Amino acid sequence: MENLIFHIDVNSAFLSWEAVYRLRIRGEKTDLRSIPSAVAGDVKKRHGIILARSAPAKEYGVRTGDTINDALKLCPNLVLVDPHYDLYESCSQAFMEILREFSPCVEQYSVDEAFCDMTGAVEPYGSPVAAATLMKDKIHNELGFTVNVGISTNKLLAKMASDFKKPNLVHTLFPHEIEKMWKLPVGDLFFVGSAMKRKLHALGIHTIGELAATDLDVLKSHFKKHGELIYAFANGIDVSTVSDGAPPNKCYGNSTTTPYDVDDGSTAKMVLLSLAEKVCTRLREDSVMISVVAVSIVDIYFRHSSHQLQLISPTNITNEIYKAACRLFDELWDGFPIRQLGIHTSRIVRGETGKQINLFDMNRYEKLAKLDKTVDMIRERYGEDSIKRAVFLDGPVYHMSGGISPEKRKAKYADGVKSL
Amino acid sequence: MLNMPVDVIATFNVQGKIKPNYIRLEDENHVLHTYKIENIVFSREEKYAGVPVILFCCNIMRGDVVQTIHIKYHVRSHQWVIAER
Repeated sequence: MENLIFHIDVNSAFLSWEAVYRLRIRGEKTDLRSIPSAVAGDVKKRHGIILARSAPAKEYGVRTGDTINDALKLCPNLVLVDPHYDLYESCSQAFMEILREFSPCVEQYSVDEAFCDMTGAVEPYGSPVAAATLMKDKIHNELGFTVNVGISTNKLLAKMASDFKKPNLVHTLFPHEIEKMWKLPVGDLFFVGSAMKRKLHALGIHTIGELAATDLDVLKSHFKKHGELIYAFANGIDVSTVSDGAPPNKCYGNSTTTPYDVDDGSTAKMVLLSLAEKVCTRLREDSVMISVVAVSIVDIYFRHSSHQLQLISPTNITNEIYKAACRLFDELWDGFPIRQLGIHTSRIVRGETGKQINLFDMNRYEKLAKLDKTVDMIRERYGEDSIKRAVFLDGPVYHMSGGISPEKRKAKYADGVKSL
Repeated sequence: MLNMPVDVIATFNVQGKIKPNYIRLEDENHVLHTYKIENIVFSREEKYAGVPVILFCCNIMRGDVVQTIHIKYHVRSHQWVIAER
């Protein structure tokens, strides 16, 4: 039997979720989706970019990733709302639950999109399009937001199909309909980013069809292995399967844009410590250890630099990773004021492996491991803020930076229902 | 007007069915009034934005006038909310 894959994508997810919440739960009268509006970060904390925008805002030329200032220049009456990550999680979960009613094999691809393996599952509905329409309408009726469904025989084509025309539509892109995709600009192809697009344009390749007709050896000589991948994609070939479990992480990292420019080493190291706290908590939660630590810096001129080292032995101890990060930072930093700092870890070792004991601090290792474990338990039970290092007391730096900060989880409404 | 949290007295039967009996509302002068819920016209479960809610459409007596109101029970937060119709 031929495979049948659905790709389901929520239309401007963050914004529609906020819109439904405001209409249905808070009882507001205006639908954010019908006016120029956008979900955006906090300008004062310099997280000032557009995370999602409504269709009317799109008409003004507002794009996801624009700064708030640029967006307001394009559309002065743009309504901005704060991010609300607890809500996004709740919506995403409910969305996935409905998909699982249709197929046992659902792969959550991101917070707002998923692949469903519908092979052999559409007969009761009559046709794939009927099943997809039912799925889309059920989500709209029960959860209040709209989705696009792409139907094909593999994940790539299904994903390309769900991207065609929005919102609230079902599209098919079976291999015999591949001309539909060939007309599109090459930048729309999955895995072709802006840098890749520029290089392809330089080669005279402007549409996906042109890419599909290009000699494979030419692409290989320019782009190595990635050339083969995009050539296969352009021809609608994708052999990956829908896997319902999330693949294990290959690396763990967090970064944060500081609310002000950091120009002294000690504050920067405090930020690094708070990042190390976050990254290491995540490592221990998944019971993995890492052996490579990297530090990245973006300075006020938006120049990006990074530096990494390999540890003698794998670890997930906050102090060890912090120490390594400080060493890297001292070697890397050129003294220019810093805008963003990050710690990234890789080369993962799973489960309990023998620890290479260092001659000079073997007692400390066990003590620190116990301490970290205890702190994790306290935080799990009483909340992230129940215990923190004394350096962060009354300091300007939050004690666990990176990821989604607490104020972005909850929305700040002045009145009405506040709970989720 | 937004949906507002309200005080409710409800009964929960052995099957887990919920029935609101009394509702207490505040007027413009911040005076509290308790109304008996005369009957429930219909109820249904909703899950908009992934938030589980049970909606009750019910009648209350205000003086000698029957008024239909919509109240919602938030399953996760255990809050009752009155919705504008």
